[in-house]
Amino acid sequence: MTTSTSAPVTAPAKQAVAARTRGLRKEYGSTVAVDRVDLELPEGAVLGMLGPNGSGKTTTIRMLLGLVRPTQGEIELLGRPLPDGAEQALPHVGALVEGPGFHPFLSGRENLIRCAAFEPLLEKRKIKQAVEDALERVGLAQAAHRRYRGYSLGMKQRLGLAAALLVPRKLVVLDEPTNGLDPAGTREIRRIIADLHDRGTTVLVSSHLLSEVEATCTHVAVLHRGTVVAQGELTELLQAGGSALQVVTPDVETALGALRQAKISARPLGEGLRVELAGTSAPQVIETLVKAGVGVHEATRWKTGLEELFARLTEAEEAERGMSAVDTLDGGPR
Amino acid sequence: MITRQFGSEVRWMLRRPRTIIGLFGLVLVPIIISFGIWTAGDGGGGPGLAAILQGNGMVVPIFTLFLSLNLLLPLVASIWAADGLAGEAQHGTLRGLLVAPVSRVRLLFVKLFGLTAMSLFAVTLMAVVGIIAGTAFLGTNGMMTLSGTTLSTGQGLLRIALFVVLVTFQMVSIGAVALAVSSTTEHPLVVQAATMTTIIVFQVLGQFQSLDWLHPFLITTGFPGLIDVMRDPIPLGQIWDSTLLAGCYLLIGTGLAAMRLITKDS
Amino acid sequence: MNKRKVTLAVATAGVLTGAAGLSLLAMPAGAGQPPSLPDVSAESLVEQVMTAKPGAFGGTVEVDNKLGLPSIAEIPQLADGKHSARIWTDGNGKLRLALPNGQSEQTIVDDGKTTWSWNSQDNEVTKSEHKDSPKESNGEKAIDPATAAKEIVTKTKEFSDITVDGTARVANRAAYELVLSPKPTEKTLIREVRIAVDAELKMPLRVAVLTNGAAEPAGTVGFTQINVGPQDAKLFEFTPPANAKVTTPEAKEAQAREKLPEAGLEAALQGEDPQIFGTGWDSVIGARIPADAMTQVPAEAQGLVDRFTKKVSGSWGSGKLFTTKVATILIADDGRVVAGAVPEQVLFDTIGQVK
Repeated sequence: MTTSTSAPVTAPAKQAVAARTRGLRKEYGSTVAVDRVDLELPEGAVLGMLGPNGSGKTTTIRMLLGLVRPTQGEIELLGRPLPDGAEQALPHVGALVEGPGFHPFLSGRENLIRCAAFEPLLEKRKIKQAVEDALERVGLAQAAHRRYRGYSLGMKQRLGLAAALLVPRKLVVLDEPTNGLDPAGTREIRRIIADLHDRGTTVLVSSHLLSEVEATCTHVAVLHRGTVVAQGELTELLQAGGSALQVVTPDVETALGALRQAKISARPLGEGLRVELAGTSAPQVIETLVKAGVGVHEATRWKTGLEELFARLTEAEEAERGMSAVDTLDGGPR
Repeated sequence: MITRQFGSEVRWMLRRPRTIIGLFGLVLVPIIISFGIWTAGDGGGGPGLAAILQGNGMVVPIFTLFLSLNLLLPLVASIWAADGLAGEAQHGTLRGLLVAPVSRVRLLFVKLFGLTAMSLFAVTLMAVVGIIAGTAFLGTNGMMTLSGTTLSTGQGLLRIALFVVLVTFQMVSIGAVALAVSSTTEHPLVVQAATMTTIIVFQVLGQFQSLDWLHPFLITTGFPGLIDVMRDPIPLGQIWDSTLLAGCYLLIGTGLAAMRLITKDS
Repeated sequence: MNKRKVTLAVATAGVLTGAAGLSLLAMPAGAGQPPSLPDVSAESLVEQVMTAKPGAFGGTVEVDNKLGLPSIAEIPQLADGKHSARIWTDGNGKLRLALPNGQSEQTIVDDGKTTWSWNSQDNEVTKSEHKDSPKESNGEKAIDPATAAKEIVTKTKEFSDITVDGTARVANRAAYELVLSPKPTEKTLIREVRIAVDAELKMPLRVAVLTNGAAEPAGTVGFTQINVGPQDAKLFEFTPPANAKVTTPEAKEAQAREKLPEAGLEAALQGEDPQIFGTGWDSVIGARIPADAMTQVPAEAQGLVDRFTKKVSGSWGSGKLFTTKVATILIADDGRVVAGAVPEQVLFDTIGQVK
């Protein structure tokens, strides 16, 4: 487990970076929305930006897209410094920020055509085809002629996604893409993200839904109170977050003694004990126990879920507020 | 690229239901005026330009535009300016344009172009309907000017064209200032209210003799002078002054809007 | 210097330029540097003015009236303020005058044989054929600074100290400032009359009347724009519009007499028997309004008169006194009227002589 202030887990240096921020800070009047955000988005990764509402995810994304000028800090997007390089970088970036924004009196198709007219990478004669393709991709082809006004929340979200996918992108930024979607819609979004990932597109997904991030992302950045508290590859983070071994044994006392001697931390839990795997490994623990003559009935690897990780990262402050901001769908023992 | 964006902007404005309703309303003005003067018959007429409308249908477009410049056309310009930035911000579409990306200066020019094109279209439409309605209801025999001379139809059309350009310019200048307001808010109604309040307050201030030092600064002061188009030969003094005055407003409005857009967080 | 800063600077410059432009437009047209002209003596300048043959010109005349007349809603043209008129002449008696009034316009065209007067307000043309001896209408001509100046010079030359006081630029033309100050013996309200005389054409371009105790002219008539030279001949032709009503001045006048409240007084002062008392600046014009005219004054006109006059009385009788910066009018209750560019005391002293 690492935090940004101590030793951040970052991608290997040789790997190319799609976006990077250094010491990002944004003040609105006297309130600091975002502070000391050092974010790395490796090329080809699907980065889940995780954090409760108000943790600074959207502000960070808006700064990444040049919509908001940081008070301090540097941003590099697709190799260009922002906001000055926005005109070179942004054509390759598709974004859905703060919910879909379209004109209610136009149909879905007309809305996309208007978006397409302002896409620098789209040639005029290809606009029509690009729009139809995007509509098809998000499953809106049937409803494309209807006015946006009459769209359901899910359809609006899909149209927003379609606008982000009008042009083949190097980076797609999706801010809370599953907001308002039913489970089928959510699956659809996951499929699209997976599809983008397969094609090598870098994706940045922000969400307050842990399950969503866990299911779709290769990398995670956890934001809390306007700063990054952890980031790195999802698997690494979870492992580093301290996995444990659940051992079922009748000789709890003997087992604890043996482990203490071997300087392995453990505590009784239920019908057995829980062994922290920090600085050791499952085979080593079992070997120690067996050598001490403890009968091991069952040993289960207890992997930290994202929820647990997240809870631990934000514990102290969230204690009094509860976890209301964080949706708890699944997680726990795996 | 920019022509395609200009085109998209105008198409978007024309697709908006309220634009269509607005244009329809504007077109009614010359028809109602022609009809009214026709009904009033010889006893009709009225002060100023209205006095020479009878039997002089070619003056209807000029009279209509002159009248509409005080309230109706600024209202329409303010609506377009309000929808252009504040409205787009309200619907969240402004963000979409900015990440497309459209540079902020470019965006302002696209908006200004839309405003200009639509203003010209609306004013021309009113003029054309005015010519038709005026000729149909009141008849015509060339164009009689305020100076009592009679111009040929061709010269009359030229005068109308000149007036259309002048009125459009006034409208665009008001719209540019409204755009500056529009860049500061997400509520289109605020923009319309602010613009119209300003125009009305300016006109009220213009009535006070004791405030005559202020009058040269008010854009509304330039409106009455445009009627010089209907004099023969045309005295250019007031027309120039009005146009320069509007030009200053255009510069100020565009400049402020640009400053705001460049520094704005979206 | 990055692009954003440059754009921001350009935008700021645009705003500032606009604001500066507004202030510039609001500023009264500057007089500019007075031109340097060869010295000329007052006598020879007056001589040249009087003998200069008026040529063809077209221009815009602005009348700036600060006479201190009350603003009367019924006669807005008299109120203090600026009024402009456009004038064209071929130098041979052909003339076109355009008097804009708000959104309407009065046009007067004199084509040498006929004077046409068109008023857009009532869509009416008044046609008046010149008699054998063409008599110019005063009202029409007085608006032209050149004519006005000549009249003043003619009438007051011998009662004034005449000097040339520097130069001025009027309607973008170099001019001498000819100053006529009433001799100390003259009992008048007027301090001086300044006439800007075109250095080349010797044509008066501007007349300004300054009164005692005021720095600003009480009234100015001057060209704001002038182009000297032959004018388009079409300007001196007039064809009544197809659907306009054409009348004669006689019919028109009869109509006017009925309509306008001030017509009675005007007629009396300009009437058949005006009497002039004294000479020079302090000459006083007197007349007697027929008793029946006095009683016939409509109530509204009476109200108007009462609103802007003060009641006075003295050994001469009693009456009403009307004061402006440049002139005083005394109307006695018995119908005697005196007026002049003089203090009220002069009128009190003179009114007894009115027959």
